[in-house]
Amino acid sequence: MSDALVFLMGNFAASFPTDRQYAKNHMWALPEGDVIRFGFSAYAVRLLQDVYFLDWIVEPDAVVNEKQQLGAIESKKAESDLYAPLAGRLLQFNQELLSDPSSINVDTYGAGWLFTMQASGAPLLSPPEYIEHLASVWEVTQRTIKGQMNE
Amino acid sequence: MAHRLTVILSQGQSQHPAKRELEENLVAALLMERGIDVVVIPHLYDLQADGTGVLALQGVSGHLVVASWLFERATRWTLDRHGVRGQVGVSLLTSEEDEEDEDDVERAEELDAKDRVIDQRELPKRKIYCLDLRVHNNAAPYLEEIKRIYNELNTQVVDLMGWVSGSPKQEQMERFLSPTNDTAVGNVAPLANTNGTAAEAAAQDAAQLKRIEEPPGRRWYPVIDYSRCTNCMECIDFCLFGVYGVDSVETILVEQPDNCRKGCPACSRVCPENAIIFPQHKTPTIAGSAAVGESLKIDLSALFGAPVEGKSAIEIAALERDEQLLMTGREAVGLSVGIPKRQTDKPAQPKDELDRLLDQLDELDV
Repeated sequence: MSDALVFLMGNFAASFPTDRQYAKNHMWALPEGDVIRFGFSAYAVRLLQDVYFLDWIVEPDAVVNEKQQLGAIESKKAESDLYAPLAGRLLQFNQELLSDPSSINVDTYGAGWLFTMQASGAPLLSPPEYIEHLASVWEVTQRTIKGQMNE
Repeated sequence: MAHRLTVILSQGQSQHPAKRELEENLVAALLMERGIDVVVIPHLYDLQADGTGVLALQGVSGHLVVASWLFERATRWTLDRHGVRGQVGVSLLTSEEDEEDEDDVERAEELDAKDRVIDQRELPKRKIYCLDLRVHNNAAPYLEEIKRIYNELNTQVVDLMGWVSGSPKQEQMERFLSPTNDTAVGNVAPLANTNGTAAEAAAQDAAQLKRIEEPPGRRWYPVIDYSRCTNCMECIDFCLFGVYGVDSVETILVEQPDNCRKGCPACSRVCPENAIIFPQHKTPTIAGSAAVGESLKIDLSALFGAPVEGKSAIEIAALERDEQLLMTGREAVGLSVGIPKRQTDKPAQPKDELDRLLDQLDELDV
C-alpha cells in the first residue's frame, strides 16, 4: 500500500489506497484479470467498528443484480444488510471470515476481503471520485446514525 | 422421586465475545447445580437432520430446557421439526415488550376459533421450556429461571385433601399417613424418609456436561408453527421450489428443507396465520417473535445500499420468489401463480339481496 487518500470522519482519518477502485456502497474493488475482489472500505469499517458476524444468503456462482441483497453483517455498533456493488457473477466468498471476521478490522484492504465477482462494465469510482462521493454522503450518514440513536 | 432436567445450550453463530461469555458463564453456573445435565450443541437451527446434535436431542426423553439465540417460538418449532416434542413449558423469562402486549389476549381468543394442526397431535407428557438468550445480557436470570423450572418439575402436585368429600385414593392415603418433604424448595438434600434407591440418589447427582460438535455450515429452511397452522396449503401452492409436502394424513410439512432458497422468506409472507418461521430472518415477525420488538443496534442498511420499499407482503413475496426463480434459470411468474384469492382483498361492494339473506341466516345461529 504505497499511496492513499484520506477522508476525515470527524477526528478519524479514514484512508483509501489508490491502487484500487471503490463502489458507492463503501466497498473497495481490486481488479485481478477479469475478476474483481471486493472488501469494505475504511469508511464502512469505521461505521461498523468491530465486526462479529457475517452471513451470506447467496451461493457462490450465483448471478446477481446490482443492489441485490447478498447477506448481512453484525458488528459491535451496528447491523446491516449487504448488497451487491454491481451486477455480475459471484465467484467466491472469503470463508475465513465466517468463523473469524476480525480481519475485516485488522487488515481491511488485504485479508479482510469479502468476495470476488466476475463483472464487466463496472460503474466503479476512482479514489478521488470516491472521496468526493464520501464528502457528499457524510452529512446523511451522520444524520442516519444520530437519528437512530435518538429513537 | 426427583426428575433430572436436561439443559440444552444452543451456541450462537456469532463470535460476539459477550454472547460466548454468557454461554460459558451459564454452563459453568449450571455445573454447580444438582440434578441437571448440560448439553452444549452448535446452533440448533444449523444442525444436520442425521447429525450427532439431533441424535443427542432425540436421546433425551425427560424434561428439557433449551436455551438458544432465537425467539422461543423459533426454538420450539425447530425442535419439533427435528422430532423433539413435548408439552409447552412456560418460561417466566419474557422480555418487557411481551408483557405489555395486550394483543396477545385477542390473538389467543382468535386462535381458539379455528382448527389447528396441533389439535390433532398427541404430544409426549414431558415438558420443553425454550429460553431466548437475547432477553438478558448476563447468565444470572437464566440460571435462576432454570432452577425455578427444576423446582417446578420436582414439586409433585398431589391433591392431599381432595378426598375430604369422598374416600381417599390409595396414593393420597399413603401420603397422608406418612408425609414427606420432598417438595421443599431446592430439593437438593438426599431424602432420608423416602425409599432412597441408588437410582434416586443418581437423580440428585451433580451436573454432567456434554459438548457436541458438528462441522460448521449454515442452513436455511422454514419451520412450521403447528399451533398456528390450519393446514390451508397456501404455502405449498406458493412455493415453486418443492420445499413443502404432505404426510400420510395430508398434513402440511417441510418435506425438502434443503430445496429452500437461501435468504428467501416469501412463503412466510403469504401464510395467512403467520405460522411459518424463518428463525434467521431479520424481521422479528418472520423470525418467530410473538410480538414485534425493536432491534437494539443501528441499522446501516440504508447507507450500504438498501432499496426503498413500499409494497404489500404478497408483492414482496412474489418479488422474492421471482428473484429466486431467475437465479435458478427459470421464468419469473410474478403474481400469476399460487397467490391466494382472498375475500379481504376485494373492494367492498354494497350488500345485495343474497348478502342480506345470508346475514339473516347467520343471525339465526343454527
